[in-house]
Amino acid sequence: MSVEEQIRDIVSRIAHVDKSIVTRESTFKDMKADSLDVVQALVAVEEAFDIEIPDEEAQKFQNFGDFVSYVESRAAKKDEA
Amino acid sequence: MAQDRKVRVAVDAMGGDYAPEEIVKGAVLAGQKGDVEIVLVGQVDAMEEELAKHDSSGLPIRLAEATEVIREGEPPASAVRRKPNSSIVVATKLVKSGEADAMISAGPSGAVAVSAVQHLGMIEGMERPAIGGGFGSFAPGILLMDLGANVDCKPYQLVAFAIAGSVYARKLLGVPNPTVGLLSTGAEEGKGNELVREGYHLLEDSGVNFIGNIEGSDILTGKANVIVLDGFVGNVLLKFYESIGDYALGWMRHKLKRYPLLGWMAKLVFDKALPITKLSYEGEEEGSGILWGVNGIVRVAHGACRASHIAHGIAGAKKAVEADIIGALKPELERFKKEGKL
Repeated sequence: MSVEEQIRDIVSRIAHVDKSIVTRESTFKDMKADSLDVVQALVAVEEAFDIEIPDEEAQKFQNFGDFVSYVESRAAKKDEA
Repeated sequence: MAQDRKVRVAVDAMGGDYAPEEIVKGAVLAGQKGDVEIVLVGQVDAMEEELAKHDSSGLPIRLAEATEVIREGEPPASAVRRKPNSSIVVATKLVKSGEADAMISAGPSGAVAVSAVQHLGMIEGMERPAIGGGFGSFAPGILLMDLGANVDCKPYQLVAFAIAGSVYARKLLGVPNPTVGLLSTGAEEGKGNELVREGYHLLEDSGVNFIGNIEGSDILTGKANVIVLDGFVGNVLLKFYESIGDYALGWMRHKLKRYPLLGWMAKLVFDKALPITKLSYEGEEEGSGILWGVNGIVRVAHGACRASHIAHGIAGAKKAVEADIIGALKPELERFKKEGKL
């Protein structure tokens, strides 16, 4: 399963929305997710990929695509190390 | 909990409108009972200054440093992540590491909830935390859930509240087979808004001891032990209830102004026999409630709470640890989840 699919699974489960709604352009607001959902999603992704997402970075995410791109780059760096 | 020591409660000394003064004073009051260990979490200078105002020598109170404070109005999710050394986060981490068995904070409740979810995680089957609470001896054996942690609820959450509420009633209120009612605008099925109507069917099929809808007039009568409602309604109801005692007393004083003798008798009755102004502020539920669903014991206190509330909250946290509410809730949620009811 790709990084994007894994994150989509996590986000759709936490926000209780169908995966088809979670596109790269979707925002948490589109998914009617609140701040607690966002925290839960961040923590779940951090655990799934064994990375830490600093708040300064998380605040830059404009949509699901930004979130995925950030995690993909972190996961790739981790594989290289 | 470690078996070889007393229950240990982490107390956020920096959270609340009257922190650290009233919080430290509350910790001293609780410490004087001698049946609980307290870890005051916050800025050491400020805590030491407050402790020096009391005779705290020999009390089971120690300090843990937290250099930052999360203030009311800060966005909770970002504040918790940006301030890892805040008193709320440090207290939560003490629970996570097992250095404390429970925590209490009168800081911003959103930040307490976010910190608990982030650091302790949720118990499987309960995806959102909920606050439960009751009315003490005024209406014993009754509790409401949620009292404000979730302003917008989804129907499946009502089932989780019912399960957690049933555990609460059994373990902390001593009700062996608690009944569950859903607060609505009418007793008949089909009454209420969309959330309630959908929640009704889920609760009916869930396997909890569901007795159907109950109305506002049934809340205090004991028709249901566990009253399930969304956090928006719960919070409004709680604050309304808490205002009744003081308001009623003022109203009576005004009405009896022309009858001094009756006024004096009423004062005597309501001061001594029926302390109506205290009807919503008594016992271990006074001023704070348990955040149910997170994987650790967390009590959320009113921002405006005073020393006695904190002392009662610490006693309530101790009781929750001793009743092993987390150990009781986990298998219940697991069972309902396995049966596909959650």
